[in-house]
Amino acid sequence: MRTILVLTILASAAGSAMAGVVKIELPLETAVYKVASGVELANGQCLTCHSADYAVMQPPKPRDFWKAEVDKMREKYGAPIPADKLIGLTDYFARNYGTEKPASESTNAASPAVAVPPAAIDAKGLALKNGCLNCHSVDAKIVGPSYKDVASKYRGKPDGPDRVARQITHGGSGQWGQIPMPPFPQLSATEVEALARWILGQ
Amino acid sequence: MAQSTITLPFANGQREVVKYPQKRPLIRLTTRPPQLETPFSVFNEGIITPNDAFFVRYHLAGIPTEIDTDTFQVRIKGSVNTPKVFSLTELKSFDPVETVAVLQCSGNSRGFSQPRVGGGQMGNGAMGNARWRGVRLKDVLATAALKPTAKQVTFKGLDKPVLEATPDFVKALDVDHAMDGEVLLAYEMNGEPLPMLNGFPLRLIVPGYYGTYWVKHVNEITVIDDTLENFWMKTAYRIPDNDCACVEPGGKATSTTPIKRYNVRSFITSLADGDTVKAGENVEVRGIAFDGGYGIEQVLFGDGSGGWRAARLGEDLGKYSFREWRARFTPDKPGVHELKVRAINRIGQSQPMEPLWNPSGYMRNVVETVRIRAV
Repeated sequence: MRTILVLTILASAAGSAMAGVVKIELPLETAVYKVASGVELANGQCLTCHSADYAVMQPPKPRDFWKAEVDKMREKYGAPIPADKLIGLTDYFARNYGTEKPASESTNAASPAVAVPPAAIDAKGLALKNGCLNCHSVDAKIVGPSYKDVASKYRGKPDGPDRVARQITHGGSGQWGQIPMPPFPQLSATEVEALARWILGQ
Repeated sequence: MAQSTITLPFANGQREVVKYPQKRPLIRLTTRPPQLETPFSVFNEGIITPNDAFFVRYHLAGIPTEIDTDTFQVRIKGSVNTPKVFSLTELKSFDPVETVAVLQCSGNSRGFSQPRVGGGQMGNGAMGNARWRGVRLKDVLATAALKPTAKQVTFKGLDKPVLEATPDFVKALDVDHAMDGEVLLAYEMNGEPLPMLNGFPLRLIVPGYYGTYWVKHVNEITVIDDTLENFWMKTAYRIPDNDCACVEPGGKATSTTPIKRYNVRSFITSLADGDTVKAGENVEVRGIAFDGGYGIEQVLFGDGSGGWRAARLGEDLGKYSFREWRARFTPDKPGVHELKVRAINRIGQSQPMEPLWNPSGYMRNVVETVRIRAV
């Protein structure tokens, strides 16, 4: 766990024991969705708003339950889940967190560990596949900052690529406001490096 | 990194026990936004729940982690003659009030629902009892002068949704309730500023009512001439509109109403399932009881032999507080003994022997049983 930082700066207001800035730093997010067929849908559609443990803790329930959850996220919470992804998402949860058996082909669903140099990776494709572009665009703020804003913040800073890479891997809030970014621990170091390079090149 | 893990006694009950800022290690339900449950053993430490052990519940991931108390303001607007803005220092110029009150999540104990239902899968630790210090909402609202057409008062805090399309967390109380003198804007909890995760620097205190109304980081109070019909009032946090707030297990409610006051609950805190005691030796059993604000009249303890005996009640910290109880018994023979506790409040409400069920897993208050072994 990172160091817990609680700053209480006493200001001049007489008699007030609570004046000043109070800041906390939350522990890193470690919960991840099970790697199986359809996990990219869960990572792309669900992690924007909440951590994976929201699904992990649910009781083992049948497909109807998971379909109702997916529908609720879309209809009540405004999740922009494309209509053609609803069944795939429901499948993923019913099979991995519900009462259905996981599909047999799902055991090899993890990203293959192929030694490709970062420069050869299609970073934009990676960003699309992992749901990065649900919250970021190249030139406009959506939920998170635009990639151009990120690039200009870190331009010329030697630790820029490392800081962007750390943010992708671990997530968290504080740099750009109060909305936290989900972590992407499932991405390999090479993939993260490629994404960071691509973002900083905008 | 998790310090350790704990398994709550239902399917998928494995949880990490994690240290958060201003908190001791607590049972983590979710990470983003954080939801933390109090380990049940804490309730045996005393009837006031320490700030660092107090449970945490958020709905939306955009939570504040940095607040400047010098610039924090709470705004009173809407159907008032004089809209107002108060800093914390200005709020503190109103008469201070202290209330000891239980804060309990609507879905406390949801994990025990049978059949299981979706939602936060908590054990019994989404509750706590604290001494809240603040100012009367009534006094603050009076300075803004509510218009005669005012019907409800709505409350919003600094936490916000990730997506604009997600309904922001706003809750409403009827004007009469908001003006009853018991609802507070609290800036202290157990003699200290509130922990950040419990609503620093200002939290709405609604004694006797479920936690969903206790809006954290409250900074926007709006008086309205109608009834708030947002997602958080009209769709979520609703119970079957009948006397038991229940339906047949697995069934659906025909009509619903917003959840309101706590029902009666009681717990054994000094012994847990699986504990052993000596057969033939007198044991003191201790626990807590509370209700929605009528006050606990009597606590009955059942030692497994069939009868119930009145427990001795502890110090009375007010009708909204946990009330401690103690009883003695001697397990006469070795083997498993089922200990039970049942509280009755001052208007005669009590707890069911069999659990009641509703589709959201709210308001569980079955008579609790602790199975111990005498050896």
